[in-house]
Amino acid sequence: MMRTGTRRLVFLSMLVAMGTALHVVEGMLAIPLPVPGVKLGLANIVTVLAIYLYGLRDGLTVALLRVLLGSLIGGVFLAPGFLLGLTGAVSSTLIMAFLLKRTRCFSMIGVSMAGAVGHNIGQLLAASLLLQTSAVLYYLPILLLAGIPTGMFTGYLLNSLLEQKAEIFRDFERI
Amino acid sequence: MTRADKFLLVGILLASLVSGTALYSRFFLDSAGAEPVQAVVTVSGKAIRTIALQPGARSSFVVQGRRGASKVEVDGMRVRMQQAPCENGICLKQGWIEHPGQSVVCVPGETVIRLEGAAPLDAVTR
Repeated sequence: MMRTGTRRLVFLSMLVAMGTALHVVEGMLAIPLPVPGVKLGLANIVTVLAIYLYGLRDGLTVALLRVLLGSLIGGVFLAPGFLLGLTGAVSSTLIMAFLLKRTRCFSMIGVSMAGAVGHNIGQLLAASLLLQTSAVLYYLPILLLAGIPTGMFTGYLLNSLLEQKAEIFRDFERI
Repeated sequence: MTRADKFLLVGILLASLVSGTALYSRFFLDSAGAEPVQAVVTVSGKAIRTIALQPGARSSFVVQGRRGASKVEVDGMRVRMQQAPCENGICLKQGWIEHPGQSVVCVPGETVIRLEGAAPLDAVTR
């Protein structure tokens, strides 16, 4: 039992580290779109992996730690953008955990798309609360649309990751 | 992609299209028929007179402010304070205003002329 607990701890820590790195690197990438705020959501990959391997609780832990560490490195801890990212991460994690664990019909692409859209909606609601205005909701259609390609992209990466490295993850699934 | 994925994709697309048309149609309708511009004169925070501006229409009227009578002149789509009771004359120096959102303010007289209507964008930031 001790051994499995340690393995899990190590693997989750690795996921947090990878997520933080992706989070920070992603912040440096500029997406050539006329609208601000659209990201690829690469850091979402580790959240999905954590949910897939260990379930909702560990998925939430990884997502929260990733946002916390990423914001500390990026220097935006407790800034408005951090609060939005936090809300987005929580809402997307909840939605993805539901689709991954409670339904069987979605592939990683569907899960990622739902996660991206959930992230954007949660972020938007937080922004409207924070700014005390509903005007930000005009951003909703754009963000919904943006969630499709970004979610598909990360979902495709996840699908191929799980196919290529299936034997590693099968090993972890048994734990 | 599974069938459920495709349903989800179409669902998100539809949701974005529906919310997009619902939210943005207002702007397109607005630019089709430009909103009329009106001048609103307020004294001590109360709107006492509203004039719909029309090209070519000239008029002037007297407003009783806190310090006495001011004279407001309307010339087509623009408005100015023509006479004011106070010694500073800041509202007089401002001259004509013609864009929605602009205003002439007489602080001693607590009199404000404001142009209301669809305001053009001042700037776009990114």
